[in-house]
Amino acid sequence: MRTVSEDQLAVGTTLPELSVELTPTMIVSTALSTMDFTPVHHDVDRARAQGSTDIFLNILTTMGLVERYVTDWAGPEVLIRGINVKLGVPGYAGDTMTFTGSVLSERAGEFTVEVRGRVSLGDHVVGTVRFAIPVEFG
Amino acid sequence: MIGSRAALVGIGATEFSKRSGRSELQLAAEAVFKALDDAGLAPSEVDGMVTYTQDTNQEISVARETGIGELSFFSRVHYGGGAACATVLQAAMAVATGAASTVVCYRAFNERSGRRFGQPDARLGGEPSSQGMEMSWHVPYGLMTPAAWVAMFARRYMHAYGARSEDFGRVAVAMRRHAATNPAAWFYERPITLAEHQASKWIVEPLHLLDCCQESDGAVALVVTSVERARDLRRVPVVVAAAAQGAGAEQMMMTSYYRDDMTGLPEMSVVGRKLWEQSGMSPADIQTAILYDHFTPFVLSQLEELGFCGRGEARDFVADGGIEIDGRLPVNPHGGQLGEAYIHGMNGIAEGVRQIRGTAVNQVPGTRNVLVTAGTGVPTSGLILTG
Amino acid sequence: MTAVTQETVHQLAERQIAVGEVRGTPAADPVNLPMIRHWTTAMGDANPVYTDEEYARGSVHGEIVAPPAMAQVWTMPGRGRDEKGGTPVDDVLAALDGSGYTGVVATNCEQTYHRYLRLGERLEPATRMTGFTGPKQTALGEGYFVTWNVSWYSSGEPVAEMLFRVLKFRPRERKPQSGSSQPYPLRPAVNRDTEFFWEGVRKGELRIQRCADCGELRHPPGPLCPKCRSVARTHVVACGEGEVFSFIVHHNPPVPGLETPFVVAVVQLPEGVRIVGNVVNCLTEEVSIGMPVRVRFVQMDDELTLPMWAPGGS
Repeated sequence: MRTVSEDQLAVGTTLPELSVELTPTMIVSTALSTMDFTPVHHDVDRARAQGSTDIFLNILTTMGLVERYVTDWAGPEVLIRGINVKLGVPGYAGDTMTFTGSVLSERAGEFTVEVRGRVSLGDHVVGTVRFAIPVEFG
Repeated sequence: MIGSRAALVGIGATEFSKRSGRSELQLAAEAVFKALDDAGLAPSEVDGMVTYTQDTNQEISVARETGIGELSFFSRVHYGGGAACATVLQAAMAVATGAASTVVCYRAFNERSGRRFGQPDARLGGEPSSQGMEMSWHVPYGLMTPAAWVAMFARRYMHAYGARSEDFGRVAVAMRRHAATNPAAWFYERPITLAEHQASKWIVEPLHLLDCCQESDGAVALVVTSVERARDLRRVPVVVAAAAQGAGAEQMMMTSYYRDDMTGLPEMSVVGRKLWEQSGMSPADIQTAILYDHFTPFVLSQLEELGFCGRGEARDFVADGGIEIDGRLPVNPHGGQLGEAYIHGMNGIAEGVRQIRGTAVNQVPGTRNVLVTAGTGVPTSGLILTG
Repeated sequence: MTAVTQETVHQLAERQIAVGEVRGTPAADPVNLPMIRHWTTAMGDANPVYTDEEYARGSVHGEIVAPPAMAQVWTMPGRGRDEKGGTPVDDVLAALDGSGYTGVVATNCEQTYHRYLRLGERLEPATRMTGFTGPKQTALGEGYFVTWNVSWYSSGEPVAEMLFRVLKFRPRERKPQSGSSQPYPLRPAVNRDTEFFWEGVRKGELRIQRCADCGELRHPPGPLCPKCRSVARTHVVACGEGEVFSFIVHHNPPVPGLETPFVVAVVQLPEGVRIVGNVVNCLTEEVSIGMPVRVRFVQMDDELTLPMWAPGGS
């Protein structure tokens, strides 16, 4: 594993797609690993009672997956500086989330990648991740 | 003739932002002060004011805030961004007829943090005014945003001439490239690629997000006076060589879908013919064009309607950087409304003035004559400015 | 909680914004490897700087660090811990609940990480309410946007920040099974020049204005005939067939009363006029210019019927 070099980060470069199966196990285990015990993330009956079709992904997991999508591509040692997202439709159990992204800009050594996570209902998450390349790799 | 009787002697603007944090009236007043300072004129020397019917700031309110005293001429122009150049036409007519000696034109709004024109408003179709009746044939079907109204034309244009989304995208890329080197632009240092344009989300097919101009808070003001008075002022006078308005046959506000041909902008053709006639110029005499770019497809149509290229040929015209600074016709060197800010076309007129003065950040060398246009798809207006 | 007025909820919000930053309960546990491993396994994140001691030692960090996106995790209350730490936002959310704005959906999450966290650091959160706007009409219903910011401190040093925004909305009433339905929000203005058209639509007729003197057909209609100036108006009933002349697929922004994406077309009628309407009963990607369509009359609510277009010709 290595960290991507700056010349592989031209503005406009697209990231390889990543698909994540939103199995019930995945939804529940990520919710609990983020210490989120809200019933809609693990209890189907409670989720349906409040109008959802199934249990769905919690936001702390969305943030974690967005981060993972970028570091999977950019390498383990890039320095994540920030993640800004707008949240859209829910990521329900049984759906698949497909991440796409591209390098949006670079300013003063900090790169911004645009990330979109799409499920069958539409965009679950759209946002940007900012990161820097550690100096010794630059 | 209106041509060459009046001159633009001052321009002023606030910063362009997404949240100005102040009232629209304050924005208007700040821009007016800057324009008057630029001209070296005192507020008391102004006796005329012109704005848009859509502006929420009355002429008398702006006059009161800025210490402009008595007014002998005040006027407003309708049809959204189509009013931009027409404010200067009104001012030039006032100056030419003696209705006023020095006229301030302004446009100020919190279009991003306040009322956003791109948001659907169910009330659009509910008014039994003639415009409400027009909207009532469209709004019930959800055809109710500017992007949607323009997209309907764009689809037909693509069908008729084989244009593609990428052709629209080249306009966006050029505007963002220009804005990237304009510190006043919202998208300063943020150019885009054609791939990013293509990947941006759909707003209304066939328009992507990056086919649509931004939404901005800000204000621009212009000062118009006679050519004679202009010679005594501190700035190089920018002469209004021609100014015109235009509406086409069977015109509607933004939904002129019932004409035989839906691929052009006949209202802009009216403006163009008047401009060439008044100025005695032809497209070959124009070194820089400021074309209204709220949505990319109409930049192509304007190039055709104004005679810069033939029907359906605009996609070749914009290819290979044709409308960039060193292209065959530099368009919107400030970045336009896609790149600099959406001030309903008024910021484009200010850029036209800077290009003639030779003070633009992205100066086009050898610019003697600039053509400026206003809102597209609506009844509109245009100017030819000269040194 | 009793319902509060729009004014009092704004006053409450302003008060809570003025309170400024309020410290919360410190993390129960310091940043630790078991929780990191649990998190990375669940996320499917194989980055070795989070869990592989040897790799981490040789990395830019020199030791194991926590995933930045875990920042919020460390101070989550978890199960069974008393959640009444009390942030300035709680009262505002409760007041909105009490006023019928019971729905909640997060709209924005923005996190900034000042540095990576090492094992053993214990975080302390501090929350301040920073924004309150509304009521606004949204796709979900009328609602208020509530924004707050959290800063996390490690031994007094700010290490991460978050802006979080939710929409508290009043859930729309579900359409009743029978009886009166919710009025469709996008209504045409109707006057004496156009009422014949809407009357026809209710009867299942697509009417085109016709000049009683010169026979000119016209749509959209108007008070007189631009050809011969006659005010003697009548109409013909269109055959109901047409062809898509141009069309759009609307995705954004949301439109009240309609689900996106939806298609709107300019339809060319064989009678020689054009009319605008939705194309329904087909996939958006199947619509094309030249496609033959046939009129359908769709009842939107008790009073309004709209002519729409479905695939298929004669």
